[in-house]
Amino acid sequence: MQREPDLGIVSSATVTAPGGRPVLGRSPAARLPDQILRWGLTVLAGAILVLIAFFFVRLYVEAKPAFDKFGVIGFTFDNNWDVSRSIFGALPLLVGTLVTSAVALIIGVPVAIAAALFVTELSPRKARGPLTIMVDLLAAVPSVVYGLWGVFVLIPKLKPAEQWVSDTLHFIPFIGGAAVAGPNYFIGGLILAIMIVPIVSAITREVMATVPSDHKEAALALGATRWEMIRTAILPYSRAGITGAAMLGLGRAIGETIAVTLVVGNAPQIGKHLFDQGYTLAAVIANEFGEAANNPIHRAALIAAGLVLFVLTLVVNAAARWFVNRSQRA
Amino acid sequence: MTLAISNRRKRKDLIMRALLGLGTLVALVPLVLVLWYVAKRGLSAWSWHFFSTDPTGSFLGDPGGVKSAILGTIMMVALATVIAVPLGVGVALYLTEYGKDSKFAKTVRYFIDVMTGVPSIVFGLFVFIVLILSGVGGGYAGWKGSIALALLMLPIVTRSAEVVLLLVPSTLRESALALGAPRWRVIARVVLPTALPGLVTGSLLAVARAAGETAPLLFTAAIVNGSTLDLGTRMNSLPVQIFNDVGQAQDRLVARAWGAALTLVVLVLLLTLIARFMSRRSRFG
Amino acid sequence: MKSRQWLAVVPMTAALAMGAAACGSSSSSDTGNNSAAGSGGSDSSASGTVNGAGSTFAAPIYQQWGSDLKKQGITVNYQPVGSGAGVAALANKTAEFAGSDPPLTADDKNSIKTPTIQIPMAIGAITVSYNVSGLQKGLKLDGPTIADIFMGKVKSWNDPEIAKQNPGVNLPSSNITVVHRSDESGTTKGFTTFLSAYSSEWKSKIGADKTVKWPTGTGAKGNDGVAAAVKQTPGAVGYVEQAYALQNNFTYADVKNKSGKYVAPTLQSTSAAGEGLTVPADLGVVTIDSPNAAAYPISSQTFVDVHQDVCRGGMSAGNAKALKAFLNYGLAQGQDAAKELFYAPLPASLLTKSKAQINKIQCNGSPISGS
Repeated sequence: MQREPDLGIVSSATVTAPGGRPVLGRSPAARLPDQILRWGLTVLAGAILVLIAFFFVRLYVEAKPAFDKFGVIGFTFDNNWDVSRSIFGALPLLVGTLVTSAVALIIGVPVAIAAALFVTELSPRKARGPLTIMVDLLAAVPSVVYGLWGVFVLIPKLKPAEQWVSDTLHFIPFIGGAAVAGPNYFIGGLILAIMIVPIVSAITREVMATVPSDHKEAALALGATRWEMIRTAILPYSRAGITGAAMLGLGRAIGETIAVTLVVGNAPQIGKHLFDQGYTLAAVIANEFGEAANNPIHRAALIAAGLVLFVLTLVVNAAARWFVNRSQRA
Repeated sequence: MTLAISNRRKRKDLIMRALLGLGTLVALVPLVLVLWYVAKRGLSAWSWHFFSTDPTGSFLGDPGGVKSAILGTIMMVALATVIAVPLGVGVALYLTEYGKDSKFAKTVRYFIDVMTGVPSIVFGLFVFIVLILSGVGGGYAGWKGSIALALLMLPIVTRSAEVVLLLVPSTLRESALALGAPRWRVIARVVLPTALPGLVTGSLLAVARAAGETAPLLFTAAIVNGSTLDLGTRMNSLPVQIFNDVGQAQDRLVARAWGAALTLVVLVLLLTLIARFMSRRSRFG
Repeated sequence: MKSRQWLAVVPMTAALAMGAAACGSSSSSDTGNNSAAGSGGSDSSASGTVNGAGSTFAAPIYQQWGSDLKKQGITVNYQPVGSGAGVAALANKTAEFAGSDPPLTADDKNSIKTPTIQIPMAIGAITVSYNVSGLQKGLKLDGPTIADIFMGKVKSWNDPEIAKQNPGVNLPSSNITVVHRSDESGTTKGFTTFLSAYSSEWKSKIGADKTVKWPTGTGAKGNDGVAAAVKQTPGAVGYVEQAYALQNNFTYADVKNKSGKYVAPTLQSTSAAGEGLTVPADLGVVTIDSPNAAAYPISSQTFVDVHQDVCRGGMSAGNAKALKAFLNYGLAQGQDAAKELFYAPLPASLLTKSKAQINKIQCNGSPISGS
């Protein structure tokens, strides 16, 4: 953006009407609204910065007692979330967050990429608009509605299938062999997968749109089939961007609270297998905050969990942005 | 001469096409299923009683409808919008008109981006610590819930507004300035009106997002089995009402949850579709 | 362009207008708030709004009383969030009375800081409800077996420990899914107190508290959440207050009491648990594992806790009167209303002491007027 000319100087120096009054100039009084606007908006932007900084500082200050008592490493990696004895080690929560997010990525990212590819490359032109809207509509459904649906439709309907998978694959350590609980890690991950598909798909579509069409046309001209063109021209080019999209999806999955808390089982333990109950960092805050509000160490522990959660999303989102930028610079 | 495509490659192409189509179907099936179940079970819960009575919390008697939830959502989201949209557009205006690429502007942009990644429950936590625990104006209140929602909406509004404002052709700005118009007039009469459809779209999407959020309201506004139009007291809202009813054993309370879910989904979808409609129609010539 | 702008602007303006109107209005449709006089009833001078939070165990009766008092202009907003959250709400003044099943501990009192008054309200039964097809009501279970089930040591319904106590009953071989509370719960404290009395392993490893580290099972929020989970999961077993069990037509167990009899939770057996109690000075009775021969062993008391000086705690004088009227109602006609929900009324001696507590409540240093 080029800097526009400062009219005050130009006009007062050059054009004058009879009588010496500058034609296009503005008196200092007339410039006042501009100054006010400029300073007003600058102060606003600065105030937002201060607010956000205050936000982090306050959260850290409130969480500090927990970190002081258990140590940052101790709090984050101890496997013991025992509210009655006021011992707070968040490992079960961290594991739950990571497991459900991993399931969400494994299921959601391929589906999202497939949808993005289909919509941009394979679908008839007329269907493109409606299909895009439908995929994006997945993001419009509120998370509590996903939770409601998960509890009353997904859990009962999938339980037989989950039990079958658990029985058939009983030799694989984490997956099989035990009784399937109603709400469990898998259902949590599945709902998260559904929720991240729209965002991963939208960004993947944008990334794929930056692939130069001559790459694509060259591949086709050389006799490649549609799939081969995708495989050789689009996917390698978009790899960084797609990774970025996946990481943004991961960031979303890590922070999702309500839908997960309704379907993950709320058991503060490390579940022994995929179909066992667990807990996540976000869900524990939602469930326990009401009663912790006046118990200083419990409250500090929950806020510390929120901070850990937040740092996780920060790191993941920063990495995602880096990947997406890299793909756009290429 | 084009090389003949072997049968093996043709087969692979077809298989992959089918797989990609299948993947797309898998992406869309949940949407259809969710909407269908919500519509089916929600519609059977809809009735005049459902919309016109408040939840009573009565154990054996009439559980009531969701009137206070609907009103609460509308009011709290409206207040949050009044706070977040002017502030967000203001910050976006600063970034596009004055700050541009300065270090300060870059810092503001970075922090706003960071805010979009904050889990929504952390906003509720923050408002709880700062406004409720410290004893400001006592207890849970609807306006505190609105503040939590406004914090959630602010980065969304700012980001989308910045994108839209940047799309206003610089030639429009420059010709207005060259004609001697002061900056503020250029913004008010040229930039904002041109960007208005895009700004409205971005704001509507933020509103739709805020209307569906539960976590920020859990410990700021709290659910009330009653009715109030006073933002200074505890307020009910659709997402919190649904969240509460999901864990109930009584079938009729669960039915009420489905009905409330349908109401919420209709509201959010309406806002989203209006926003999309506006964005598709706005052109910059 | 202009018409399209209006399309979006109109709904937004409408929403904003509603918001602006709300900010300005003084809750015209808020029932009972600041209204001059209640209509009829014994307490025409008391009307107002009372905000409470806490025990889901007692929620049915408080909500019933609230709806009974609505005609008199008293609005009771009770949030069933669990005993732990209720006490926390009382402490940080987001609630004016707390429903708590266990008596206030020293920790509770410390967190509240200002003096509190504890008022026993009723006694309810914690049922051991199960959802097993073909299994009728009245499965006989004793304390050690229940502890073993909730510890995960007894994993299936036809386990010898259960079969031993139920000869002739056809027990399926299906797995037991334990359901427990995920929030801080007075019901949990009552239940785990009972388990600790009968299983030394439970006592040492897990203990009795409002929230414990459950070795197995799904967590649900509130008595209603546990009821929902039991209802939705075949093979599940969970501990729920009797009103919730009855409302959902649950099958529940006959539990062996201290005298060795298997007792079903009924109004009589729950009342029996309240007989012959030693009442401490602050009225913090515990009715779990009563020695009475006819008592249901997992019967729990429940209290309402308030600040001693409610107005200094944030209430207006009018609402303080409403609170007193609510509490007085609860210990008078409310006791009959509770019976209909299968909560046992307080035994006579405890009832008198309870009523005396209410008169100790003050507003800005002086007692609250009105009956």
